[in-house]
Amino acid sequence: MGIRFNEVSHKYSSFSDGNLSAIYQVSLKIKAKDEFIALVGHTGSGKTTLAKHMNALIFPTEGNVEIFNKIITKKRNRDIKYNEIRKKVGLVFQFPEYQLFEETVLKDIMFGPLNFHISKEEARNLAINALKLVGLDESYSNRNPYNLSGGEKKRVSIAGILAMDPDILVLDEPTSGLDPAGKRVLMELFKDIHKRTNKTIIIITHDMDLVYEYFSRAVVMNEGELVYDGSPESLFKEHDLSKNHLDYPNTIKVLTHLNKTLKLNLNVYQKTAIDALKEIEKAGIL
Amino acid sequence: MSYIEVKGLDYSYTKNKKVLKNIDFSINKGDWVAVLGHNGSGKSTLAKAMVGLIEPSIGSIKIDGLELNQDTVYDIRRKIGIVFQNPDNQFVGVTVKDDIAFGMENLAVPREEMLKRIDFFAKKVQMEKYLDKEPSQLSGGQKQRVAIAGILAMQTDIIIFDEATSMLDPFSREDLMKYIKKLHEEGLTIIMITHDINEALLADKMLILKSGEVFAYDDSHSLMKDKDVFRNSYLELPVALEIANSLTEKKYDSVKEKLWEYVSMK
Repeated sequence: MGIRFNEVSHKYSSFSDGNLSAIYQVSLKIKAKDEFIALVGHTGSGKTTLAKHMNALIFPTEGNVEIFNKIITKKRNRDIKYNEIRKKVGLVFQFPEYQLFEETVLKDIMFGPLNFHISKEEARNLAINALKLVGLDESYSNRNPYNLSGGEKKRVSIAGILAMDPDILVLDEPTSGLDPAGKRVLMELFKDIHKRTNKTIIIITHDMDLVYEYFSRAVVMNEGELVYDGSPESLFKEHDLSKNHLDYPNTIKVLTHLNKTLKLNLNVYQKTAIDALKEIEKAGIL
Repeated sequence: MSYIEVKGLDYSYTKNKKVLKNIDFSINKGDWVAVLGHNGSGKSTLAKAMVGLIEPSIGSIKIDGLELNQDTVYDIRRKIGIVFQNPDNQFVGVTVKDDIAFGMENLAVPREEMLKRIDFFAKKVQMEKYLDKEPSQLSGGQKQRVAIAGILAMQTDIIIFDEATSMLDPFSREDLMKYIKKLHEEGLTIIMITHDINEALLADKMLILKSGEVFAYDDSHSLMKDKDVFRNSYLELPVALEIANSLTEKKYDSVKEKLWEYVSMK
């Protein structure tokens, strides 16, 4: 078992970060390998709070989280090396490109491994490998991160986490701020990393089109509670998303509109525009 | 003469690489223009140049007949304001009230008048109940609304939104778009930089940048009928129009009509 939430609640005291939302009685199992999960929910639904529990960045106020067999509870446990947990579960925050600070790309990526007492030589190798994993060649090594494009910066910051070779990778809205082409490139990249390494990847996103097209499992949070855990297909088919303040993928919305206004019988559950187009052509409308 | 006139604008951050190349366009008062373009196309640089945060290498920007330069920059900023992408990067005040006041303080608005405007514009963006709250207690959408109130309070009549909704969730986004729509109906000139084609659809016109140049500038409807314009500038059309533009045979006319109707419903 990779990560297991056992009836976890987290309530923030008024002194702590006012931006985070509470979660209530969340139970959830995430395998150590082979998972590709979308974590969705509106702002204030508690999804970022949930993500922060995944590498013991915060502790539950009730219940416990098992992370690679270490049990995290309200109380700090001296026998648990929290740093090791954070090495096993890498968390990439939203807009990580704001956190680049070294003068070269390679130095920035090496920062994490060096913090975990790895030799300089080894950290360098890890960094170069991570750079390749995110689709940037070695020529980027000596460039200044500030002169990179938004998409490139994002890749560098993701490489910084990958260089620590975590078993599980959690990313908070990695595609926000990118143009549509950049979004797809990044999603393909995650899929590729997932395929090549079998690492479990958990991605927080608002983009239902991406959830539908790319993911096999969706976890939905609403007002601090876990309200759905299953395939995106049945989420969109069988659940009323508006109750959870979520939207449907565009293909479904567009085809539903055609069915309604033209009294058609199109199968609305198409993942891409091309699939939707085929469905319309199959109907051969006049 | 147009309300905003940009002529022959060039800008480079480093010696050899131009980020903006010979940018020419004009905007009429009350227009809503969406500025689209791939990452690195020069959208944000253009926005910064228009509010005088950076100085173009060549070319001119005129707003309401006034040419932007070091002497006029403060007068220009009474006419044009900007809301940035990251709601957390634009807060200076300890409370929402202080924050709305900040811009006016720079313009030396008298206290009495300032208090009046704070109340008025806080109400306008429906944040009047939050005036004494700390900005950190607000959601991203609420923060952006406060930022808008601060700009409106300076009584500018142009606002540039530089990906102002991109860090918001869909509902805060929709909510913010609702306010922007309302402000536009009341006569505000809007320049909206966005990656979100569904947001761009609300604009009367679209300005598409590609690698620092104006690739296309026309009314939104006619641009969107041309799928090559979008593809050639690395952009995507909304799903409904991607489908509509691919249905060329006559038997699909009814479907096409409904697809366009779907897009314009928003």
